[in-house]
Amino acid sequence: MADSPISVLGPRPIPEHTIITGAAGWLGQGLCNLLTDPTSRYYRPTPITGIVRNSEEAALLAGIAGVTTLIGDVTDASAMLNALADADAGPTTDLIHTAGVIHPVRLSDFEAINAGGTRNVVEAAAKAGVRRMVHVSSNSPFGLNPDRNDTFRHEEPYRPYLGYGLSKMRGEQAVSDACRAGILDAVMVRPPWFYGPWQPLRQTTFFKMVGSGKFPMFGGGRQRRSMVYIENLVQGIVRAELSDASPGSAWWVADAQAYTVAEIVSTVQAARRAEGLQSKDGGIKVPQFVAGGAVAADRLLQRFGKYKQEIHVLGEMGATIACDISVTRAELGYDPEIDLLEGMRRSIRWCQARGIDLG
Amino acid sequence: MSAANANRPRASESRGDGVRRRSPGEDRNADRSLDCEILIVGSGAGGSTTATVLAEAGFDVLIAEEGAWVDQGSVIPFSLAQMDSQYRSGGVTVALGAPSIAYTEGRCAGGGTEVNSGLYRRPPGEVIDRWRSQYQIRDLDPAELDSIADEVEKELSVCLTPGTPSEPSRILRDGAEALGWQNSEIPRWMTYPEGTTGFRGERQSMTRTYLPRAMAAGARLVTGLTIDRLITSNGRATSATARQDGRPVTVRFRHVIVCGGAIQTPALLQRSGIRKHIGRSLAVHPTVKLAARFDHEVNVPDDVPVHQVKEFAPALSFGGSASNPGLVALSLSDSWRDFAPAVEAWPSISVYYAAITSEGRGVVQAVPGMRDPIVTYRLTRRDKDLLRSGLARLALLMLAAGAQEVYPSFRGAPIVRNRGDLATLQERFAAAKASVMTVHLCSTVPLGEDRSRCGADSYGRVHGYPNVFVNDASLLPDAPGVNPQGSVMALAIRNARHFARTERPRG
Repeated sequence: MADSPISVLGPRPIPEHTIITGAAGWLGQGLCNLLTDPTSRYYRPTPITGIVRNSEEAALLAGIAGVTTLIGDVTDASAMLNALADADAGPTTDLIHTAGVIHPVRLSDFEAINAGGTRNVVEAAAKAGVRRMVHVSSNSPFGLNPDRNDTFRHEEPYRPYLGYGLSKMRGEQAVSDACRAGILDAVMVRPPWFYGPWQPLRQTTFFKMVGSGKFPMFGGGRQRRSMVYIENLVQGIVRAELSDASPGSAWWVADAQAYTVAEIVSTVQAARRAEGLQSKDGGIKVPQFVAGGAVAADRLLQRFGKYKQEIHVLGEMGATIACDISVTRAELGYDPEIDLLEGMRRSIRWCQARGIDLG
Repeated sequence: MSAANANRPRASESRGDGVRRRSPGEDRNADRSLDCEILIVGSGAGGSTTATVLAEAGFDVLIAEEGAWVDQGSVIPFSLAQMDSQYRSGGVTVALGAPSIAYTEGRCAGGGTEVNSGLYRRPPGEVIDRWRSQYQIRDLDPAELDSIADEVEKELSVCLTPGTPSEPSRILRDGAEALGWQNSEIPRWMTYPEGTTGFRGERQSMTRTYLPRAMAAGARLVTGLTIDRLITSNGRATSATARQDGRPVTVRFRHVIVCGGAIQTPALLQRSGIRKHIGRSLAVHPTVKLAARFDHEVNVPDDVPVHQVKEFAPALSFGGSASNPGLVALSLSDSWRDFAPAVEAWPSISVYYAAITSEGRGVVQAVPGMRDPIVTYRLTRRDKDLLRSGLARLALLMLAAGAQEVYPSFRGAPIVRNRGDLATLQERFAAAKASVMTVHLCSTVPLGEDRSRCGADSYGRVHGYPNVFVNDASLLPDAPGVNPQGSVMALAIRNARHFARTERPRG
């Protein structure tokens, strides 16, 4: 393509070709849909290649015009090299690496997919000489805030939270190492807990629990949590992709401010009512020490190579995980336009449009 | 006292002032005695200001100081010799707990003001407001304290250092700037003779400011005089039993104002049978340290950095510590096996601290037959998390400032060379393995009308004892999150003025 379209989202032009790993995942589907939607501000007319694990995943993207799929597993180094060669990746290609696992079948998946997979993608991207790679990281390499009023600043020391955090930290390190070595232009975004359309089934459970007034609230629900609506996250990713920031840069991408758990619960309940769903008030009050117990149990299970999603989520719910996006705003012009109530209402409408029962 | 030394009384001259001396034939065992209208116990930031206000208001004031008079400049700051001569127990005192917390107390004329970092912070307005509402402190007015702070700052010549900051200070500033963290130079009570740099300031401690002023107004300072206990009768204190040179001394007074600091003040009151809400709520700023090595000489052995990083305040603050070779070695000693080789590089090393505002509290308990009270302190889970996070964030700042290697002060700590090592630091850290220390001790006799937890009323009068007062760091309801000497002085002056307004000097 002779003239690459320019974007209002950053100084770099829209790439001639975009490759998305984990394209059939929650975020991957969101990106594929928004980048190809002519009514969206994130629309790009250039082709998109979604890398997926198998034909079932490919089927999830089949209806999206402008997206072609390639099958390739990030845990297989040669498969990644081949996939990027097949996709004809080169200096006018950007690669958005969303593939990752948060609730694994086996604990070893964390290391294999989040760390090993990222190393493979970094290596393939460097070899293909892509223009830029955007790595989707997480809050998890930085753990929990030490105090309820503490907020993670733009730069923080690593303190990975359990197996997931460790694997995401190693993923970041693979990216940083390649940038330092000068073999790749990559940047990173660090979203906390995200929500919104294309959500997996576990989020449906969340909506139901909150609606029934049975969501566990530790110590009065005063813990603070940063969250990010998926479209805000897409904005952060695209702005990071098109920015002229130096390789190795990383930014928090979250909603405008952190919410207290009590606020999250009451907002979801308000969103349910606004969308015509029944909702009870409040949550189940649980003493703070139960969260401590869940963290200890999670730690113990993970030490023995086991992962239990419910225990993990329960443990995390007792903690504050809050991040400060002021540098993201200043450096990328990032502006999270959708707040919790609006985001949750859109999520509920998305579920309802697909006939998903939210109780 | 001659005019020439009016401002700089020597220990030998001031000691014994007012003590009724024995004539050659007198019985050696006969009690010596002192009489005064107001006995002030301790000559630190609280005692010296109190003495000045009351002596200038016409009261007959006697200041009992356990330590000696040591001229500023006669001992190298932050040295072992200073610990020996100007600190209690040679600077080695410990609050028991898991971890135990080492603390230091000045013991000399001028108290802690003679030996501390000299960094000055006004009492923060929001802290004053919180204290007033939570502890029901009557008429605690931030505007009044601000205007007192103006006077104190003038009296102590509080100012910024002239010229460029020292290398350890610049490192704090530049590391914080690189991370976008808020930082500033903290002013000090120092004067800088014409043409000198920031390294050679003259500390305007109590022995150079308020103590000479109090004495010029007639206050008597007796050094080497240890007050053992107050004798009370029907809720009034009438006299104190004391010792000087191992001999008993009786001090008779109309009012007593205890200003011995947050450990000695409650201990004296407890020994005197005054126990209600005394010594039960010790608050400190627990502190952890690290040493950082750079690729050039940075060490300044006889001064501390003037910059502080307040990005995470009040919960967390970072600053620089005294870093003479002995203290560098001490900070490396927790992991000596791995860190020992670094000590050779001490000229390239400086020591820094991360301090937290703690949710934990401690207890000061006087024990019969023991000279010093037993002090215990319990850190909460959140305190320990904050110490870990603080140490890691401080190490990150050091890397951002260009440190080659960072040596955190806890057993089993890794040498931090890059950001990946910060994860190891946090994984290995446990507060119980760290050398936790503090220099800011307060809140053992919190003031206020909330009788369920305050040991003294809104002006420092001990509840239930109309002529027994406290006027030092013990009164601060909790740790203020900043260097506390400014808060102690402002509050002490406010309370002393209230005393002078409500009590008349004896004719």
